[in-house]
Amino acid sequence: MRSFYPFLLIAATIMTIGCNSRSTTTDPASSDTKNAKGDAGVKPVFSLAWSEYPSWSVFGVAHEKGLIDGDEGKTGPVEDKWGVDIVLKEADYDTCLAYYGASETDAVCMTNMDTLAPSLSRSSVAFLPTSTSVGADACIATDTADLASLQGKPTYGLEMSVSQYCFERNLELQGKTIADFPFKNMDPGAAAQAMQTGQADIQSIMVWNPFVMQTLRTRDGAKVIFDSSTIPEEIIDMVVIGKDALAREGGDAFVGAVVDTFYQINAMMADPKTADETLVDIGKKFSSLSLEDMKQVVQQTRFYATPQAAIDLFNGETFQTKTMPQVVEFCESHGIVASKPTIGFDDADAQVNFVTKYLKPATSK
Amino acid sequence: MIRQPVSTGTRWILSAIAIGAMFMAYEAISFRQTQKNPKQTVVPGVTSITTGWQKLTTPNKRGETWLVEDVKATYGRLFLGLGLGIGLSIVVGVAMGAYPWIEALLVPPIAFFAKIPPTAMLAVYFVLFGTKLEMFVAMVGFSVFFTLAQSIYQAAKKDVSDDGVHKAYSLGASSGEVIYEVLWKQILPRVIESIRLQIGPAMVFLIAAEYVVGDVGIGYRIRIQSRILNMDVVYIYLILLGASGLAMEWALTRFRRWLCPWFGE
Repeated sequence: MRSFYPFLLIAATIMTIGCNSRSTTTDPASSDTKNAKGDAGVKPVFSLAWSEYPSWSVFGVAHEKGLIDGDEGKTGPVEDKWGVDIVLKEADYDTCLAYYGASETDAVCMTNMDTLAPSLSRSSVAFLPTSTSVGADACIATDTADLASLQGKPTYGLEMSVSQYCFERNLELQGKTIADFPFKNMDPGAAAQAMQTGQADIQSIMVWNPFVMQTLRTRDGAKVIFDSSTIPEEIIDMVVIGKDALAREGGDAFVGAVVDTFYQINAMMADPKTADETLVDIGKKFSSLSLEDMKQVVQQTRFYATPQAAIDLFNGETFQTKTMPQVVEFCESHGIVASKPTIGFDDADAQVNFVTKYLKPATSK
Repeated sequence: MIRQPVSTGTRWILSAIAIGAMFMAYEAISFRQTQKNPKQTVVPGVTSITTGWQKLTTPNKRGETWLVEDVKATYGRLFLGLGLGIGLSIVVGVAMGAYPWIEALLVPPIAFFAKIPPTAMLAVYFVLFGTKLEMFVAMVGFSVFFTLAQSIYQAAKKDVSDDGVHKAYSLGASSGEVIYEVLWKQILPRVIESIRLQIGPAMVFLIAAEYVVGDVGIGYRIRIQSRILNMDVVYIYLILLGASGLAMEWALTRFRRWLCPWFGE
């Protein structure tokens, strides 16, 4: 029987790993011993996953400026004010989506469209629109091409993403038949690179910033066929939290702190004294863009800089009765969601719930 | 004592235990995830294999079936790339093993490029070969070529004794005959073994490339579907990749035993 022993040991190890794999950092209990500053009481820990994008890099900047401390067990003044510990997780956009879907993060920065798929299995609350794309997503083609000449030729971009949505919406607006304009999958970075290096078979791409700016600058004769400026307030960048996480103790305070942080940085961008410096900081966390580039970027990625602007969006009739149903329709017809999630506005039962109650100016509590 | 033999029956039982443990570990992870979120689809239970299979085999509006399209694309790219890479590396490897001046000429670049993972130069491949079939084939081809050429030339150099070569020459063989009859036939089983070991890495690079620029194929499907949390589809492809890798290994081993029975197990 001795020869059996090592095998059983291995089998037992595998099973132990399976059962005991790391508990989530979001478990409030796990922060017990880690409250480094040792200030009164233990703050509940909440995580926020973000990827580099103009209105999301704000959170990285807030960490750098010391408003919040994105490490577990450490807090900044905003966190102290609200009594929560915000843990920032920076990752690739797709990875952020995966984190959120797997409940590895409490809140995540994502678009209104990408919120639908995970919401089927994890009810979501969208509490902060950060920006909308007004030209930040663009279809770029090489010199001779115009929309008519693109007919039958493939456009490359990320399938089942806002790129494809923006592409089809623009065709629709121009009265074209979508089936006449094939959309082929390619990573936006790779597509932009292919066009910039002048590959003959890539004549048209549909990408987002910074690739739009980069491609227009690098490839002579590349021009914008159409972009998201025709569909303002349809592609919304936002911060979303799982309903399960929001219900945890301190959930409201966490959301409040995130909103507070966002508007504090926006106030710095609005103040002429700190505006440029803040933009430069954001640029550092968005593909290392310069001040000049960032000035253009924030034109194309229009921030919802005040609570009122955000409330007007979420409460707006167009958004509620036209945009969201349209986005849901798109997601269902393209197989992004197997069934339509229920969309609500201040409706706690909805799978995707847009709420405005947390949208308050940065100074008040 | 090590190397104590076990009976066939015990072997089967232990294998069954290991496979069972695999399933149990998966189910345990799935259970943990379900506790976090009862409606999760990230690590679905083992039974979800049926829903994933359904998605893969139901034709879409254009009459295409994911499974068929993806398997055709991925394995087409793989075999084309492997074929080219293997062919080229045999020619180069044998030449290097036979002629020291070719060896001296080619060892530096081949040894150097063999150490660069093709995924790290994905961008270079796009520039050189575009983003279509040629790129995937080049990626797979070069990923196996450098390593394979190295091991083939090492075998041709070391596994064939000078005695054998000299004997053949003194019996009147031409250089071509020595290369084919003495050198090639002796290293053939080693070549097949080396090829077998290169299939895994080739697949890694192919999937990575498909992940980025594919518009069809297993890597493409895994990326797009995992983005929208259709993990049941993803797991089926993982099983498929594992099974096809095993099948290819098994086939090559059988092929070697059939072709070179003198080489042994």
